[in-house]
Amino acid sequence: MYKLRLKFYKKDDMVFISHLDLIRLFERAFRRSGIPISYTQGFNPRPIMAFATALGIGVSSDSEYMDIEIEDKMDVIDLITKLNEVLPTGIKALEGKYIDKKEKSLMSIINFSSYTVDITFNNEITRDNLENKLKEFLGLNEIIDKKYKKRRNKRKSNKDEFREVNIRQNIKEITIINTDINRALLKMILAAGSSANLKPEIVIEKFKDYMKLDIDTTKTRVHRTGLFTTITPEYLGPLDIVNTEDK
Amino acid sequence: MNKISIENLLYNVEKPARYLGNELNSVHKEVHDKTIRYAFCFPDIYEIGMSHLGMKIMYYLLNNIDDIYCERVFAPAVDMEEEMKKHGIPLFGLESRQAITDFDFIGFTLQYELSYTNVINMLKLANVPIYSKDRNEEHPLVIFGGPCSYNSEPIADFADIIVLGEAEEVQIEIINLYREHIAKGYNKDLFLKSVAKIEGVYVPSFYEVKYNKDGTINSITPKIDDIPAKIKKRIIEDLDNAFYPEKVIVPYLDIVHDRVVLEIFRGCIRGCRFCQAGIVYRPVREKSPTRLSNLAQALLSSTGYEEISLSSLSTSDYSQLQEFVEKLIEKYSDDKIGISLPSLRLDNFSLELIKEIQKVRKTGLTFAPEAGSQRLRDVINKGLTEEDLINATEKAFASGWNNVKIYFMIGLPTETTEDLLGIKDLAFKVADIYYKTPKDQRGKGLNITVSTSTFIPKPFTPFQWEPQIKLEEIYKRQNLLKEEIKHRNITYNYHDAKTSYIEAVFARGDRKLSKALELAVDMGCKFDGWDEYFDFDRWMEIFEKTNIDPEFYVSRKREYDEVLPWDHIDVGINKEFLIRENEKAKKAEITPNCRANCSACGINQSFVGGIC
Ligand code: SF4
Repeated sequence: MYKLRLKFYKKDDMVFISHLDLIRLFERAFRRSGIPISYTQGFNPRPIMAFATALGIGVSSDSEYMDIEIEDKMDVIDLITKLNEVLPTGIKALEGKYIDKKEKSLMSIINFSSYTVDITFNNEITRDNLENKLKEFLGLNEIIDKKYKKRRNKRKSNKDEFREVNIRQNIKEITIINTDINRALLKMILAAGSSANLKPEIVIEKFKDYMKLDIDTTKTRVHRTGLFTTITPEYLGPLDIVNTEDK
Repeated sequence: MNKISIENLLYNVEKPARYLGNELNSVHKEVHDKTIRYAFCFPDIYEIGMSHLGMKIMYYLLNNIDDIYCERVFAPAVDMEEEMKKHGIPLFGLESRQAITDFDFIGFTLQYELSYTNVINMLKLANVPIYSKDRNEEHPLVIFGGPCSYNSEPIADFADIIVLGEAEEVQIEIINLYREHIAKGYNKDLFLKSVAKIEGVYVPSFYEVKYNKDGTINSITPKIDDIPAKIKKRIIEDLDNAFYPEKVIVPYLDIVHDRVVLEIFRGCIRGCRFCQAGIVYRPVREKSPTRLSNLAQALLSSTGYEEISLSSLSTSDYSQLQEFVEKLIEKYSDDKIGISLPSLRLDNFSLELIKEIQKVRKTGLTFAPEAGSQRLRDVINKGLTEEDLINATEKAFASGWNNVKIYFMIGLPTETTEDLLGIKDLAFKVADIYYKTPKDQRGKGLNITVSTSTFIPKPFTPFQWEPQIKLEEIYKRQNLLKEEIKHRNITYNYHDAKTSYIEAVFARGDRKLSKALELAVDMGCKFDGWDEYFDFDRWMEIFEKTNIDPEFYVSRKREYDEVLPWDHIDVGINKEFLIRENEKAKKAEITPNCRANCSACGINQSFVGGIC
């Protein structure tokens, strides 16, 4: 058995399929591709695949990762070509590497994600004004997000339970890329992965609330540009940190 | 025609993948002047419609013809409908994202009566006048087909054309005729007049219904010459060589039946007296194992699916089931492809077969005795004995199963309290068998689910003259079972009787109901098959406002000489046979299955001499 790490993108119409849909789509794509993917044991055997993160519906990404296992070794370029032949427009494998079987799981090594976020205001804005608001926002020590917990036992209480979390330290960077009349394009680097995960949509909501901005949040569009294990002193992604062994 | 931009809507709705239209194996064509555009509409949401076999067949059958472009349309979910209305977006074909308002054909498949409001709502969303009489040459032709078209009278005023029976051939004939008419200058009335002569085509506007003073039907007669007084259904004689798709659309979403479906035969030999499908799909026609194996191979490699399901009304009755399933297992178990056999009658033989299949994938066990006592099972001609059931469960538990579902109907003709208690007894016996099975053999923790549905006397069955029992009576019987079935391992489920009541109105109704349907849609009825949208009181209000007494259709016993709303439709089964069967039911006499003995239902005389 051989383990492989693949990077792929998910965009255009494919942003509208959920993470579970994506898993099914890959399972069937592997079957049609003829790539000798390995299966789990048991009553319902499934192709062995593990993803870095679950991308929300509506979010596009240039930088998704998955680990797969295959039975027979094949050339990485060949494998990517075969896979891309059966993938729909909007999902495409970009690069890949064989990795050690003992390599840590993708999910456990991701710590940061970078995004571009397109936001729309109900009014006209100026870049200077937005710069100031952003500076003020990032100057806060506390940005509180209320997380609602769904109660398991509905009968016990009707009250929603929630937890307050300070998300400030999960925001690593926000900068303005561009503004245009009532729209702005932001770059964000946020905590991502199994220990802390902050969604850009939440940040925009907080930015709106704390700074009293007239943002139409139904028009926010999020695009992931990168996933990283570290961002200082340099940006390293899941394919950078593994040993490049020979094919 | 412009492509509608739906992207911004998709961010605001649940499961936007329903509306993408570009799934694997979907067909996208360029549109020319002469392209015949066909909107195949399924009046329910994507996940249900996409599971439907008939749609898959028709989609590829039509798209295989160069100048026809068939697209899928499903009922938009309620959130999507709101968004569409807000943005002024009409109902569109999923593939082209173009409004279906100007298509040549809008076809609906009528799968269940409770989807009728969706049919009309979808016509409205498409900006097409809902009544046939209000549509002219500018509008699409509206065609209905599917199982409910055998009695489509309640919805007939909305259709230009109704297709009776299996549509593969007749649908092509209709389009061929349309093409000719277009070439020489299309006139709707002239077209309908000539299309009405095609066998299997019913043009409701050419038939006049006269009523008696008591509201029953006096006569249904053709208004014009040269069209049949009785319209015959169509069947495909040679099913083995009939068209079947070698690829199917693979949805992004998890749909109800998400797998390769192989149709192994049509028709049914059993003759259960409550079952409409068992009558209207006669006679039995099988596909050969060779053809099926080829189809399986083609479908698996074009889809990447991990499961094959064999589809029919009664899988066990496929004459070469064992050999065929064994062959499939042998061929595909290395690829981890599972096989599922729905509609299996459980006996020793099928249990062995299921055990084989379980080596690859695990499924639950279901039984459908339909009635609780032997007497009542004889009444409905369900040839399943208690002994069969006991034997099957003994073996099943000994092989490690511990999940059993048992299905029954309540309100069957002649049903008594004893029969109802029989349901309980049967379930308790099954539980006892589990506890008698040695601990090392049986699975851990027993789960029995008993489900009852409400019997609806359907057209073209021997029970078509019988009333449905009253609502209060249904509640009484459900409550009795609720009280009686108290066992830690048994769960009792029952359906809301009110939906069965409305279903009965439209299953057994006549043309007078079209005004009720129209008003229902105006008053917001849609997705009536869904508990969260079904509103019984609103329906009663609608009947009151339209002067319709639902009881007239639901709980009135009809005499053999009454003209039934579907008497001008010929499904190939003669009335004498149905009467004979109803009389035998009253005496709890069984009728052997068609392989054991032919009971002269008539299908072999009018349709396919010699096959049966
Ligand atoms: S003609 Fe006889 S064998 Fe054929 S379906 Fe009818 S009853 Fe059955």
